[in-house]
Amino acid sequence: MHIPDGFLDLDIALIFYILTGIVVVISIVKARKELNDKKAPVVGMVAASIFAAQMLNWPIPGGTSAHFVGGALAGIILGPFAGCIAMASVLVIQSLVFADGGITALGANIWNMGVVNVFVGYYTYKLLEKRGIFLASAIAGWIGITFAAIFAGLEIGLSSSFDYSIAVTVPVMGIWHGLLGIVEGFVTAGVVGYIASSRPDILQKTVSG
Amino acid sequence: MFSRKFWFVLGVLIILSPLFAYAAELVGYSEPLENIAERLGVEENPIYEGILPDYSVPGLDMFSGTLISAVIGTLITMGVTFGVAKAISKDGG
Repeated sequence: MHIPDGFLDLDIALIFYILTGIVVVISIVKARKELNDKKAPVVGMVAASIFAAQMLNWPIPGGTSAHFVGGALAGIILGPFAGCIAMASVLVIQSLVFADGGITALGANIWNMGVVNVFVGYYTYKLLEKRGIFLASAIAGWIGITFAAIFAGLEIGLSSSFDYSIAVTVPVMGIWHGLLGIVEGFVTAGVVGYIASSRPDILQKTVSG
Repeated sequence: MFSRKFWFVLGVLIILSPLFAYAAELVGYSEPLENIAERLGVEENPIYEGILPDYSVPGLDMFSGTLISAVIGTLITMGVTFGVAKAISKDGG
Protein backbone atom coordinates (compact mmCIF):
# COMPACT_ATOMS: atom_id res chain seq x y z
CA MET A 1 0.00 0.00 0.00
CA HIS A 2 3.09 2.24 0.00
CA ILE A 3 2.53 4.87 -2.69
CA PRO A 4 5.70 5.51 -4.74
CA ASP A 5 6.83 8.80 -6.25
CA GLY A 6 5.04 9.65 -9.47
CA PHE A 7 1.55 8.46 -8.48
CA LEU A 8 0.38 11.58 -6.66
CA ASP A 9 -0.05 15.12 -7.92
CA LEU A 10 2.16 17.44 -5.92
CA ASP A 11 -0.76 19.44 -4.53
CA ILE A 12 -2.40 16.24 -3.27
CA ALA A 13 0.93 15.16 -1.80
CA LEU A 14 1.29 18.55 -0.09
CA ILE A 15 -2.20 18.47 1.42
CA PHE A 16 -1.45 15.11 3.02
CA TYR A 17 1.94 16.30 4.25
CA ILE A 18 0.11 19.12 6.06
CA LEU A 19 -2.68 16.92 7.46
CA THR A 20 -0.16 14.33 8.60
CA GLY A 21 2.08 17.00 10.11
CA ILE A 22 -0.81 18.32 12.21
CA VAL A 23 -1.76 14.87 13.54
CA VAL A 24 1.87 13.92 14.25
CA VAL A 25 2.42 17.13 16.24
CA ILE A 26 -0.78 16.53 18.23
CA SER A 27 0.34 12.92 18.80
CA ILE A 28 3.73 14.03 20.09
CA VAL A 29 2.09 16.46 22.53
CA LYS A 30 -0.42 13.85 23.73
CA ALA A 31 2.06 10.96 23.83
CA ARG A 32 4.37 13.03 25.99
CA LYS A 33 1.91 12.58 28.86
CA GLU A 34 1.76 8.81 28.38
CA LEU A 35 5.36 7.91 27.63
CA ASN A 36 7.94 7.24 30.29
CA ASP A 37 11.16 5.27 30.68
CA LYS A 38 9.19 2.03 30.90
CA LYS A 39 7.01 2.60 27.88
CA ALA A 40 9.50 4.17 25.47
CA PRO A 41 11.28 0.83 24.78
CA VAL A 42 7.89 -0.81 24.05
CA VAL A 43 7.28 1.79 21.33
CA GLY A 44 10.63 0.83 19.77
CA MET A 45 9.84 -2.89 20.02
CA VAL A 46 6.42 -2.53 18.42
CA ALA A 47 7.86 -0.44 15.57
CA ALA A 48 10.69 -2.93 14.97
CA SER A 49 8.26 -5.89 14.91
CA ILE A 50 5.97 -4.10 12.48
CA PHE A 51 8.92 -3.27 10.22
CA ALA A 52 10.02 -6.92 10.20
CA ALA A 53 6.47 -8.22 9.68
CA GLN A 54 5.94 -5.84 6.76
CA MET A 55 8.89 -7.41 4.96
CA LEU A 56 6.93 -10.65 4.58
CA ASN A 57 4.95 -10.37 1.38
CA TRP A 58 2.40 -13.16 1.26
CA PRO A 59 1.48 -14.37 -2.22
CA ILE A 60 -2.30 -14.68 -2.48
CA PRO A 61 -3.56 -17.21 -5.06
CA GLY A 62 -4.76 -15.29 -8.09
CA GLY A 63 -1.83 -12.97 -8.59
CA THR A 64 -1.85 -10.57 -5.69
CA SER A 65 0.45 -10.25 -2.74
CA ALA A 66 -0.07 -8.52 0.55
CA HIS A 67 1.81 -7.82 3.69
CA PHE A 68 0.71 -7.11 7.22
CA VAL A 69 0.50 -3.35 7.85
CA GLY A 70 -0.01 -3.21 11.61
CA GLY A 71 -1.45 0.27 12.18
CA ALA A 72 -4.37 -1.00 14.24
CA LEU A 73 -2.04 -3.27 16.20
CA ALA A 74 0.24 -0.34 17.05
CA GLY A 75 -2.77 1.74 18.16
CA ILE A 76 -4.20 -1.01 20.34
CA ILE A 77 -0.91 -1.83 22.06
CA LEU A 78 0.50 1.69 22.42
CA GLY A 79 -2.58 3.90 22.31
CA PRO A 80 -3.33 5.99 19.22
CA PHE A 81 -0.79 8.76 19.83
CA ALA A 82 2.28 6.66 20.52
CA GLY A 83 0.98 4.21 17.88
CA CYS A 84 0.92 7.01 15.31
CA ILE A 85 4.50 7.95 16.21
CA ALA A 86 5.66 4.33 15.93
CA MET A 87 4.05 3.90 12.48
CA ALA A 88 5.36 7.27 11.25
CA SER A 89 8.85 6.21 12.31
CA VAL A 90 8.56 2.88 10.41
CA LEU A 91 7.30 4.66 7.27
CA VAL A 92 10.00 7.35 7.34
CA ILE A 93 12.72 4.69 7.61
CA GLN A 94 11.15 2.56 4.87
CA SER A 95 11.05 5.56 2.58
CA LEU A 96 14.47 7.06 3.35
CA VAL A 97 16.54 3.90 3.71
CA PHE A 98 14.75 1.43 1.44
CA ALA A 99 12.89 3.71 -1.02
CA ASP A 100 9.69 1.82 -0.09
CA GLY A 101 7.10 4.56 -0.48
CA GLY A 102 8.05 7.75 -2.30
CA ILE A 103 9.48 10.84 -0.64
CA THR A 104 6.78 13.03 -2.16
CA ALA A 105 4.14 10.48 -1.08
CA LEU A 106 5.47 10.15 2.47
CA GLY A 107 2.83 12.48 3.91
CA ALA A 108 0.07 10.45 2.25
CA ASN A 109 1.59 7.11 3.26
CA ILE A 110 1.87 8.18 6.90
CA TRP A 111 -1.68 9.51 6.70
CA ASN A 112 -3.01 6.17 5.42
CA MET A 113 -1.03 3.71 7.50
CA GLY A 114 0.09 5.82 10.46
CA VAL A 115 -2.96 8.00 11.06
CA VAL A 116 -6.12 6.46 9.53
CA ASN A 117 -5.10 2.85 10.17
CA VAL A 118 -3.99 3.59 13.75
CA PHE A 119 -6.86 5.85 14.87
CA VAL A 120 -9.68 3.96 13.10
CA GLY A 121 -8.21 0.69 14.40
CA TYR A 122 -7.84 1.98 17.95
CA TYR A 123 -11.32 3.49 18.24
CA THR A 124 -12.95 0.45 16.63
CA TYR A 125 -11.20 -1.68 19.21
CA LYS A 126 -12.33 0.54 22.08
CA LEU A 127 -15.90 0.51 20.77
CA LEU A 128 -16.02 -3.29 20.68
CA GLU A 129 -13.71 -4.11 23.58
CA LYS A 130 -16.60 -5.18 25.83
CA ARG A 131 -17.52 -7.90 23.34
CA GLY A 132 -14.17 -9.54 23.79
CA ILE A 133 -10.58 -8.68 23.03
CA PHE A 134 -10.23 -11.15 20.15
CA LEU A 135 -13.33 -10.01 18.27
CA ALA A 136 -12.59 -6.33 18.92
CA SER A 137 -9.00 -6.50 17.70
CA ALA A 138 -9.86 -8.68 14.68
CA ILE A 139 -12.49 -6.20 13.48
CA ALA A 140 -10.19 -3.26 14.32
CA GLY A 141 -7.38 -4.76 12.22
CA TRP A 142 -9.74 -5.40 9.33
CA ILE A 143 -11.57 -2.03 9.36
CA GLY A 144 -8.33 -0.12 9.96
CA ILE A 145 -6.52 -1.45 6.89
CA THR A 146 -9.64 -1.17 4.72
CA PHE A 147 -10.02 2.52 5.59
CA ALA A 148 -6.31 3.07 4.96
CA ALA A 149 -6.70 1.50 1.50
CA ILE A 150 -9.78 3.63 0.74
CA PHE A 151 -7.71 6.73 1.50
CA ALA A 152 -4.88 5.46 -0.72
CA GLY A 153 -7.51 4.97 -3.46
CA LEU A 154 -8.78 8.53 -2.93
CA GLU A 155 -5.30 10.04 -3.10
CA ILE A 156 -4.30 8.29 -6.32
CA GLY A 157 -7.77 8.70 -7.82
CA LEU A 158 -7.72 12.46 -7.25
CA SER A 159 -4.30 12.68 -8.90
CA SER A 160 -4.13 13.31 -12.62
CA SER A 161 -1.56 10.60 -13.38
CA PHE A 162 -4.36 8.09 -12.91
CA ASP A 163 -6.73 8.56 -15.82
CA TYR A 164 -9.47 6.81 -13.95
CA SER A 165 -11.27 8.67 -11.24
CA ILE A 166 -11.86 7.78 -7.63
CA ALA A 167 -14.91 5.85 -8.85
CA VAL A 168 -12.44 3.17 -9.93
CA THR A 169 -9.49 3.52 -7.57
CA VAL A 170 -11.45 3.71 -4.31
CA PRO A 171 -13.56 0.57 -4.83
CA VAL A 172 -10.61 -1.43 -6.21
CA MET A 173 -8.33 -0.53 -3.30
CA GLY A 174 -11.15 -0.82 -0.75
CA ILE A 175 -12.43 -4.19 -1.97
CA TRP A 176 -8.97 -5.74 -2.34
CA HIS A 177 -7.77 -4.63 1.04
CA GLY A 178 -11.16 -5.40 2.54
CA LEU A 179 -10.54 -9.03 1.53
CA LEU A 180 -6.84 -9.10 2.39
CA GLY A 181 -7.66 -7.25 5.61
CA ILE A 182 -9.32 -10.35 7.02
CA VAL A 183 -5.82 -11.81 7.44
CA GLU A 184 -4.69 -8.53 9.02
CA GLY A 185 -7.60 -8.85 11.45
CA PHE A 186 -6.69 -12.38 12.49
CA VAL A 187 -3.00 -11.52 12.95
CA THR A 188 -3.92 -8.41 14.97
CA ALA A 189 -6.29 -10.45 17.14
CA GLY A 190 -3.71 -13.19 17.65
CA VAL A 191 -1.01 -10.78 18.78
CA VAL A 192 -3.32 -8.66 20.98
CA GLY A 193 -4.85 -11.80 22.52
CA TYR A 194 -1.42 -13.20 23.28
CA ILE A 195 -0.16 -9.97 24.85
CA ALA A 196 -3.38 -9.59 26.86
CA SER A 197 -2.90 -13.04 28.36
CA SER A 198 0.88 -13.00 28.86
CA ARG A 199 1.80 -9.34 29.40
CA PRO A 200 -1.41 -7.38 30.10
CA ASP A 201 0.72 -4.62 31.66
CA ILE A 202 1.94 -3.66 28.18
CA LEU A 203 -1.51 -3.01 26.72
CA GLN A 204 -2.68 0.57 26.69
CA LYS A 205 -5.42 0.79 29.29
CA THR A 206 -6.53 4.38 29.50
CA VAL A 207 -8.91 5.65 26.87
CA SER A 208 -7.12 8.62 25.39
CA GLY A 209 -8.51 11.56 23.50
CA MET B 1 12.75 -6.14 30.29
CA PHE B 2 11.64 -8.07 27.26
CA SER B 3 11.31 -11.77 27.22
CA ARG B 4 13.44 -14.02 25.11
CA LYS B 5 10.21 -14.90 23.32
CA PHE B 6 10.04 -11.42 21.83
CA TRP B 7 13.55 -11.63 20.43
CA PHE B 8 12.84 -15.13 19.16
CA VAL B 9 9.74 -14.02 17.25
CA LEU B 10 11.58 -11.00 15.85
CA GLY B 11 14.44 -13.27 14.76
CA VAL B 12 12.03 -15.66 13.04
CA LEU B 13 10.42 -12.77 11.12
CA ILE B 14 13.85 -11.59 9.98
CA ILE B 15 15.02 -15.06 8.94
CA LEU B 16 11.79 -15.60 6.99
CA SER B 17 12.19 -12.36 5.02
CA PRO B 18 14.55 -13.73 2.29
CA LEU B 19 12.29 -16.76 1.80
CA PHE B 20 9.30 -14.52 1.23
CA ALA B 21 11.32 -12.30 -1.11
CA TYR B 22 12.30 -15.40 -3.05
CA ALA B 23 8.70 -16.63 -3.18
CA ALA B 24 7.45 -13.23 -4.33
CA GLU B 25 10.06 -13.18 -7.10
CA LEU B 26 9.13 -16.72 -8.10
CA VAL B 27 5.41 -16.11 -8.55
CA GLY B 28 5.77 -12.46 -9.58
CA TYR B 29 2.73 -11.32 -7.62
CA SER B 30 2.42 -7.71 -6.60
CA GLU B 31 0.26 -5.61 -4.33
CA PRO B 32 -3.22 -4.28 -5.31
CA LEU B 33 -1.84 -0.73 -5.66
CA GLU B 34 0.84 -1.90 -8.11
CA ASN B 35 -1.69 -4.02 -10.00
CA ILE B 36 -4.03 -1.05 -10.44
CA ALA B 37 -1.15 1.14 -11.57
CA GLU B 38 -0.08 -1.44 -14.11
CA ARG B 39 -3.61 -1.89 -15.39
CA LEU B 40 -4.01 1.87 -15.82
CA GLY B 41 -0.55 2.28 -17.26
CA VAL B 42 0.75 4.55 -14.52
CA GLU B 43 4.48 4.45 -14.03
CA GLU B 44 6.49 5.05 -10.93
CA ASN B 45 8.75 8.03 -11.09
CA PRO B 46 11.49 7.34 -8.58
CA ILE B 47 13.38 10.45 -7.60
CA TYR B 48 15.42 8.75 -4.91
CA GLU B 49 16.56 5.18 -4.67
CA GLY B 50 17.39 4.94 -1.00
CA ILE B 51 20.43 3.46 0.66
CA LEU B 52 19.30 -0.15 0.33
CA PRO B 53 16.95 0.13 -2.67
CA ASP B 54 13.90 -2.11 -2.34
CA TYR B 55 15.41 -4.06 0.57
CA SER B 56 18.48 -5.14 -1.36
CA VAL B 57 22.18 -4.57 -0.93
CA PRO B 58 23.70 -3.37 -4.20
CA GLY B 59 26.07 -6.04 -5.49
CA LEU B 60 24.77 -8.80 -3.23
CA ASP B 61 22.45 -11.63 -4.20
CA MET B 62 18.77 -11.27 -3.32
CA PHE B 63 18.87 -13.76 -0.47
CA SER B 64 21.70 -12.18 1.54
CA GLY B 65 20.65 -8.66 0.49
CA THR B 66 17.15 -9.14 1.87
CA LEU B 67 18.44 -10.73 5.06
CA ILE B 68 20.91 -7.91 5.69
CA SER B 69 18.23 -5.32 4.87
CA ALA B 70 15.86 -6.98 7.36
CA VAL B 71 18.47 -7.01 10.14
CA ILE B 72 19.61 -3.43 9.51
CA GLY B 73 16.06 -2.11 9.02
CA THR B 74 14.72 -3.78 12.14
CA LEU B 75 17.60 -2.48 14.29
CA ILE B 76 17.42 1.06 12.86
CA THR B 77 13.64 1.10 13.38
CA MET B 78 14.00 -0.09 16.95
CA GLY B 79 16.77 2.38 17.76
CA VAL B 80 15.26 5.42 16.07
CA THR B 81 11.73 4.83 17.38
CA PHE B 82 12.96 4.17 20.92
CA GLY B 83 15.09 7.33 20.71
CA VAL B 84 12.14 9.40 19.50
CA ALA B 85 9.80 7.95 22.16
CA LYS B 86 12.41 8.56 24.85
CA ALA B 87 12.99 12.15 23.68
CA ILE B 88 9.24 12.82 23.69
CA SER B 89 8.62 11.19 27.07
CA LYS B 90 8.48 13.22 30.24
CA ASP B 91 11.48 11.34 31.64
CA GLY B 92 13.55 11.98 28.53
CA GLY B 93 13.41 15.23 26.62
